[in-house]
Amino acid sequence: MAKYILKRLFQSLITVLLVVSVVFILLRMMPSDYFFTEDELMKFTEVQKNAKLERLGIMAMCPECHGSGKTGEEACGHCHGEGYVNRSVFAQLGDFFYEMLEMRAYNAKGKEVKTVTPVPLWTYLRQQGAGEDPFNGTLKDGYRVKLAFNLGKSIRLEKGQYVTDVISNKMGVSMEIGLISLAISLVLGVVFGVAQAHYKGGAFDHIGTGFTVVVNAVPHLVIYTIIMIAGSSLFGLPMRYDATAANPTLTKILPIVCLSVASTAGYMLWTRRYMVDELNKDYIRLAKLKGLSTRKVMFRHVLKNAFVPLAQYLPYSILLTVGGSLLVETFFSVPGMGPELTKAIGRYDLNLVQGIVLLYATMGILGVFLGDLLMTVIDPRIKLTGKGDVR
Amino acid sequence: MKKFLALVMALCMVLGMASFASADEIKNLNTYETQARELETWNIHYSQAAADLNVLTNCFDGLLTNDNHGNLKPNAAASYGTEDGGKTWTFTLNEGMKWINKDGEVQADVVAQDWATGLEWVLNYAKNDSYNSSMPMEMIAGAEEYYNYTKELTETEGTEAAFALTADEGSKFAETVGIQIPDEKTIVYTCVDALPYFASVATYNCLYPLSAELIEEVGVQGYRDITWEDMWYNGAYTVTYFENLNQKVLTAAPNYWNAENVKRFDTVTIKMVESTANAYQLYLAGELDHVSLDQATLQEIYNDDANPNKAKLVEARPTKYSYQMHLVYSKNKEDDTPDDNWNTAVANENFRKSLYYGLDLTNYLARTNSINPQKCQNYVYTGNGVAFTSDGKDYTELVRKEIGLEYDAEKYNRYDPDKAAEYKAKAIEELTAKGVTFPVEVDYYIMGNNTTAAETAKVLENIFAEGLGEDYVKLVTKTYISSLANEVRKPRYASIFINGWGADFADPINFLGQETYDDTAAYYSNAYSMINDAKDEDLIAAYKEFTDLTVAAKAITDDIDARYAAFAKAEACFLGHCLTIPMSYEVAWELTKINNYSKVYSAYGMQAYRYVDWETNTDGYTTEDMEAFAAAYAAE
Repeated sequence: MAKYILKRLFQSLITVLLVVSVVFILLRMMPSDYFFTEDELMKFTEVQKNAKLERLGIMAMCPECHGSGKTGEEACGHCHGEGYVNRSVFAQLGDFFYEMLEMRAYNAKGKEVKTVTPVPLWTYLRQQGAGEDPFNGTLKDGYRVKLAFNLGKSIRLEKGQYVTDVISNKMGVSMEIGLISLAISLVLGVVFGVAQAHYKGGAFDHIGTGFTVVVNAVPHLVIYTIIMIAGSSLFGLPMRYDATAANPTLTKILPIVCLSVASTAGYMLWTRRYMVDELNKDYIRLAKLKGLSTRKVMFRHVLKNAFVPLAQYLPYSILLTVGGSLLVETFFSVPGMGPELTKAIGRYDLNLVQGIVLLYATMGILGVFLGDLLMTVIDPRIKLTGKGDVR
Repeated sequence: MKKFLALVMALCMVLGMASFASADEIKNLNTYETQARELETWNIHYSQAAADLNVLTNCFDGLLTNDNHGNLKPNAAASYGTEDGGKTWTFTLNEGMKWINKDGEVQADVVAQDWATGLEWVLNYAKNDSYNSSMPMEMIAGAEEYYNYTKELTETEGTEAAFALTADEGSKFAETVGIQIPDEKTIVYTCVDALPYFASVATYNCLYPLSAELIEEVGVQGYRDITWEDMWYNGAYTVTYFENLNQKVLTAAPNYWNAENVKRFDTVTIKMVESTANAYQLYLAGELDHVSLDQATLQEIYNDDANPNKAKLVEARPTKYSYQMHLVYSKNKEDDTPDDNWNTAVANENFRKSLYYGLDLTNYLARTNSINPQKCQNYVYTGNGVAFTSDGKDYTELVRKEIGLEYDAEKYNRYDPDKAAEYKAKAIEELTAKGVTFPVEVDYYIMGNNTTAAETAKVLENIFAEGLGEDYVKLVTKTYISSLANEVRKPRYASIFINGWGADFADPINFLGQETYDDTAAYYSNAYSMINDAKDEDLIAAYKEFTDLTVAAKAITDDIDARYAAFAKAEACFLGHCLTIPMSYEVAWELTKINNYSKVYSAYGMQAYRYVDWETNTDGYTTEDMEAFAAAYAAE
């Protein structure tokens, strides 16, 4: 099993690297105009545009012509006198991974000290090993050095801020409301799903089915508006997320309720469906004939088996809470990850897109892997290794 | 006498409102922005976006600001003036100004040298990427030379060499640029010429201060990427909380040098909301202190006599943006070949005149203000309130007099079906001879997912059809995905653009200078109309005539009235040849607890969002209250 886990982890790492590399290359294949704002595009001269692209690592100064004043036939065949040449996308990709592994200085408050030049990890280790000071005496007392895992800086949405900082600030908010709503919807969804299966064809089942149909059929924004207005007018709940409010918890209730509604309906639907499937199987009939109580049959046997397919997606769902919800977070102004990717794409904030894709890819792959492991824990009959009926 | 009577009446109305005067003033203001307008940078020297500057103007005090009538008013400068008609300007700073951090801890004294450091930053090619550099380069002696020096240095020796430059005594900057710091409290600017309007530039961020000690603390790269947590403040507020796409909290700055003379809120919370419809719900729930109404909500309230908010509907003051229909003179088709049919048609003056007189824009204006659409009328190019003659007359009045067109509260005055028909007939005859086929298609681009823009475009299509006939000209609405510049402007696919321009300083040149011919600094000529690539000789002659008049007006610096009269003639020439078609102003309706007439009001620059000296009322104002404020304001 340990060998299998190591193998899957290695495969996951390769997959993440591949996904990130492909996205990186595709983004850099876009026309370079997309690196500029509307204003920059119309106002910047070619020299200014090139200088900005050079700062972003997309172009490089031409070693032959830059600053030499060479033009026309005197200029080299690469830059034609413009002073800048395009860099290979693979060189840019190399820089991307290189900058991930830089040692940076932070002050006592944990803020990066930008007057201290970062040092690559291996240079840092080599110089430290040789008893040299990698930062040439620029570190003051109280500064500490750590690996930044730098994914570049945001170029539009939060200009100049590290992508890792942007993501880590927002991830926590999304995870908090995401995990609470997941827990609520899991408990409610499974309990109501079990109840629906137990009272199949009865009033409760019809009400539950009606609920899932309505939630899936009505556009979510309409449901959120109804919840927002009802929550505000009937219970006096704040209409938007506000971490500075006197009672911030109250401001999280409506987003959590909205997030829970859709997933509760989903868990109800699938729990009922798997339970009904299981209830019709012979081993359940046998258990009932043997005189097992309904409760024991439902929870020890039916639910346990019905839950296996749901469990596979549980780690995935938990991990993906870092991604937040586009609709709910936009609607309630929750400062989470939900709208970040679409906004980053909309404003061509390529580094941010890159960072978020890396995060989503990692979480997605890890989620599937953990889901597989969880299934084997819940149902020991499932084997991930060996020959034959393995997954 | 008339003015006296108006004053007495206004006083009576204000006194009559004593009943609401018992309501409390707001201590903690809750305002909002839609999420599309989130701040992108905290670097005030770098930013050119209103979304950033609306916040940052509260964190920094420039030399001058505006009052609620738009007049210039000392701010960081205690006094200012020129003794040579505008060639040199001297500003003397107030005592006791401090740089503080977000927690209000004093970091350093604010000194005159900070304005030199700020200007060096703006003009340094490597430090500020040419943002906000155009105004000082045009106006301050030696500024362009220094900019070019930093540009060359960047290109030959790299950015680090340019990063190392300072504004210290003996530096290249101090030697080159027309800014002298004779002592810690005095700043003297030397302009390229006598510039009577230069003082208004002192309200803008290109002339804002920057502490060299802050640069030393965070580094050049650190200041480029500065955040609210690290920056130093010298303004009325500090930022005490910021969460992207959620909210910002501005708190009255401790140790603020001017605390005794300005009224401030304890806190101002700027909440980011998903839409104006969402903001309306927040206003109803008491979570916002004002809300601008979309037309659906406005009509819903206006048509319901039982709605308690009907009596509280308030017409907002116009924004500073003057909206124009910019015509494109060198357009391409979507297969990237020149659109000869359009280019030939639009070069014809009779064709342009038929558009100018043939469109009754009332229904279009109603998209912004469905109750009083004619309040949004705009017949000139320069924005209202940008410049005033020595006897206090708005410059745009001079232009309207020149073109013989006045605003009318009841009808859209420019629409003249007889003239339109006459010019249409002439245009058909002349253009048919040149091989133009009818209807001439007018390609108008809107963002694909913007339903409001789609509805407005439909209204505009109908206005074209009803005013000029679909057999003559046809407005064709097309869509782009996300970038107007990339997808439409650069490949030149549009026939027209409708957008607004707001002035940065108080002179008509800030508008007219964007349209001149064969001028690389003319923004609209190069980015929108593409006039420099046009081929038609009559069209180019019209542009040259306008450009010559503008250049001549710009050269008049010793007589402000003569200068504005000359600009008015140039603008009348521009409009007379119908080289652009003025469209509208933004005058929306709102529900508010803020007296709009107490706020800083300026038709240029970035001072209008300063949260100082605002009169507020926790109960909100009624339509009558605001009308009384307007009357009192007009009588002041």
